[in-house]
Amino acid sequence: MIFRSLLALVFALNCVPARGQDAPQMYLDNTRKIQGDKIRVCVDDAAVGAPFDRAVAEEIGKALFLDVVFDQSPGGFPISGGGFLEELQIRMNKNCDLVMGMSLQTGNLYPDWVSPTRVYATVPYVLAVLDPRYETLADIPKEHFIGTALGSSGEWAFITAMGQRPEGQRWKRLPYADKSLMLRRLRDGQLSGMLLWQPMLQQLLAEEPGGGDVKIIAPDPIQVATVRVGGLVSSRDSFLRNQIDSAIDALIQDETIAALMDEFGFAGMPGG
Amino acid sequence: MQFYLKPSILTLSAGLAFASPVFAQDDERVYSPVTDEMIMNPPAGDWLMWRGTIDNHGYSNLDTINKDTVADLELAWAWPMADVGLQQTTALEHDGIMFINTNNSIVQALDAKSGDLLWEYRHALAEVPKSWGYLNYQSRRQKNSIALYEDKVYLTTVDAKIVALEATTGKTVWETQAFDNSKGYSYTVGPLVVNGKVISAISGCSIAGTAGGCFIAAHDAETGEELWRFNTLDDPNNPAQGESWGDVPPENRWGGTPWAVGSYDPETNMTFWGVGMPAPYAELVRGSGDGDVLYTNSTLALDADSGELKWYFQHLPRDNWDLDSPFERVLVDQEVDGKKHKMVVSVPGKNGIAFALDRDTGEYLWSLETVYQNVVTKIDDDGKVHINEDLVSSAVGESHLACVSVSGGKLWQAGAYSPRTGSFYVPLTEACNTTTPIQTEFTAGNSTGSLKFGPRVLPEGIDQAGLVDAISVNPEQGTHAWQHRQRTIPTSSVIATAGGLVFGGDAGRYIKAWDDTTGEVLWSQRLNAPIGGSPSTFEVDGEQYLVVPTGYSAAASSAASMFPEVPLPSGAGNSIFVFKLPKSDG
Repeated sequence: MIFRSLLALVFALNCVPARGQDAPQMYLDNTRKIQGDKIRVCVDDAAVGAPFDRAVAEEIGKALFLDVVFDQSPGGFPISGGGFLEELQIRMNKNCDLVMGMSLQTGNLYPDWVSPTRVYATVPYVLAVLDPRYETLADIPKEHFIGTALGSSGEWAFITAMGQRPEGQRWKRLPYADKSLMLRRLRDGQLSGMLLWQPMLQQLLAEEPGGGDVKIIAPDPIQVATVRVGGLVSSRDSFLRNQIDSAIDALIQDETIAALMDEFGFAGMPGG
Repeated sequence: MQFYLKPSILTLSAGLAFASPVFAQDDERVYSPVTDEMIMNPPAGDWLMWRGTIDNHGYSNLDTINKDTVADLELAWAWPMADVGLQQTTALEHDGIMFINTNNSIVQALDAKSGDLLWEYRHALAEVPKSWGYLNYQSRRQKNSIALYEDKVYLTTVDAKIVALEATTGKTVWETQAFDNSKGYSYTVGPLVVNGKVISAISGCSIAGTAGGCFIAAHDAETGEELWRFNTLDDPNNPAQGESWGDVPPENRWGGTPWAVGSYDPETNMTFWGVGMPAPYAELVRGSGDGDVLYTNSTLALDADSGELKWYFQHLPRDNWDLDSPFERVLVDQEVDGKKHKMVVSVPGKNGIAFALDRDTGEYLWSLETVYQNVVTKIDDDGKVHINEDLVSSAVGESHLACVSVSGGKLWQAGAYSPRTGSFYVPLTEACNTTTPIQTEFTAGNSTGSLKFGPRVLPEGIDQAGLVDAISVNPEQGTHAWQHRQRTIPTSSVIATAGGLVFGGDAGRYIKAWDDTTGEVLWSQRLNAPIGGSPSTFEVDGEQYLVVPTGYSAAASSAASMFPEVPLPSGAGNSIFVFKLPKSDG
């Protein structure tokens, strides 16, 4: 009876409806990996949060008594995000038990073949300026431009807030995919402020000597936007997801995540 | 001059790492250079470029396979493609040699009669860092065609190079890094080669690093040296172009990608290219307000010697739905009452609206709707296109049902014009999807803003997703000569022939031949996978051949939910099938 149930389970796992795949079927490896006590964790090393994500993954591995083997998650996609999910599906099928450093926003775009883990950190967007007279966004003249990180939660919050204000009470905005360019435009005066993820600002200023003249001000009257950072596992791996969620929970409770956020200079809070 | 090929000599001369000559028999071949005269007026038995001719007709003068004989077609040979991925190839033929390309920039030469491999070129792609996944994605969806000119085969590659291969060996003559691949540029458009110039256009213009620059460019066919480039996103010679982006400077503009091979008019030395959508897709996000965002979704007429813009016409201003207008521009000449009319005819964009323009001036002549669409409300007599502002999102997360869908309507699958009937035959899809501006960085803090598309659904009251529309063309108007509707969607380009036939295929794996005047299906054959790429036809030793590519089809996959009773294969099956008539006993 048990054998028959197992067979049915295996059959269910391997049968897909006769319809098109998100990624071409020939790229999807159907083998079950033999990896013993290892967990394959993918991180986009081009992402600003990658060192932090790696450190959190190491702690998850320790909590689960698993050796963490790192691999790359895909990056370098168009500003439309086109192609990302296909590549992610292929990579998760072949190389990744867990993908770290993912933005887990409400109403996210993830399809049903992935499951998000518990959020391990919530990190804010910040408004950075050069002009020492500015203490909040409200101090910046309305005809000035604010740069926003294209496609970000911070930009979403900014656009939404502007839409709720009468014309004439809105700040002008330019979207930037290249954050270094946005900083250059802040320095040459084309922008009066820039709204970007706090770890990104930290990295930009670390790369630039004399970056101390850039200061963070309150975004009032708009609300602070945050990114809820977590991981993705395959929807087939519900047991693994439960284990990872438990590990993240424990790491939040024992303040391991908080310590890592301090170590990497991340603002915000553990969990979310 | 002619080139004589002996297998033994070939083996020596082509002993390069990436070109592998293979000759199964000790034959001697003659390969005559493809001259400018042949480019302008190809031999009837040849298929020298993507759509066969520089006017992008997709039409062959061959007529052995015709309305009376097509039912007798039988398989001559078949061939598996060298790589998997999206099947978008076009088989070219000259002097009995067939040339095909596939994903990851692989080119093969085959004996067109027997299907034997003559040589294979595998482009040495730079290793892509795993963190740079987009290039892997691009490699699998490479839709560019190749082109024949003089004694060479011209290839544009996924790593933004142009490569000239010796047609008889596959040996590299030259290659040039046309654009900076590390910024995100890659080719998905094949070349148009005329008058010693390789004219093509670069893609990847929605990658962060390519902001402000998307180009049509010409390179010297002998050396690969760049001769000119035209930027579709930034034209300092036309103030109206910059103003159409509102406050957005060039460094914050993306998109404007041309992704179908252009056409060429030797009388005026103008080349005609279509340009795709702006990015970010929604004006709410890109910050351009109600600006038209030129030259996105436009036809550009450029001087082929200098790249100077002669005129432009915008088919969809203020795009908010990723409804590109980059598809094939077809050059049509018609004489009416003794007056010669020169037109550009096209279904340029995903919304399926057909346009005719005066070829010398860009003046609007007429337009005609095909599939159901709701994004354009009106086109004025002077050609000004008005969009449906009710479908423009004013808040992040605000959804609208846009018809057509992001995959068309019309897509890269090209239509064919028959001078015999004066009709333009276009493969189309009835579909809608919701569009929602969504701000979601996939990787925390990274820039990937997206317009979220809902699943493709059929418009209300329509249950036939596929449409082949025969549009009767004249300088005054376009009308529907006939429409063939079917449940599954067309997934290949179509071609027309002097035999009175139109060939094209669908997601249901059927290649079909329609009567070009009635739309009656005269022949169909079910193959191994959705019909893909572009069919072509050629003649060797007096016999006409029909080439049909099949394989993985993103269009079929994304539309599969609209015709669930027709299951798609999970295998790729990328192949070409070559048909011909039985040899007569006489």
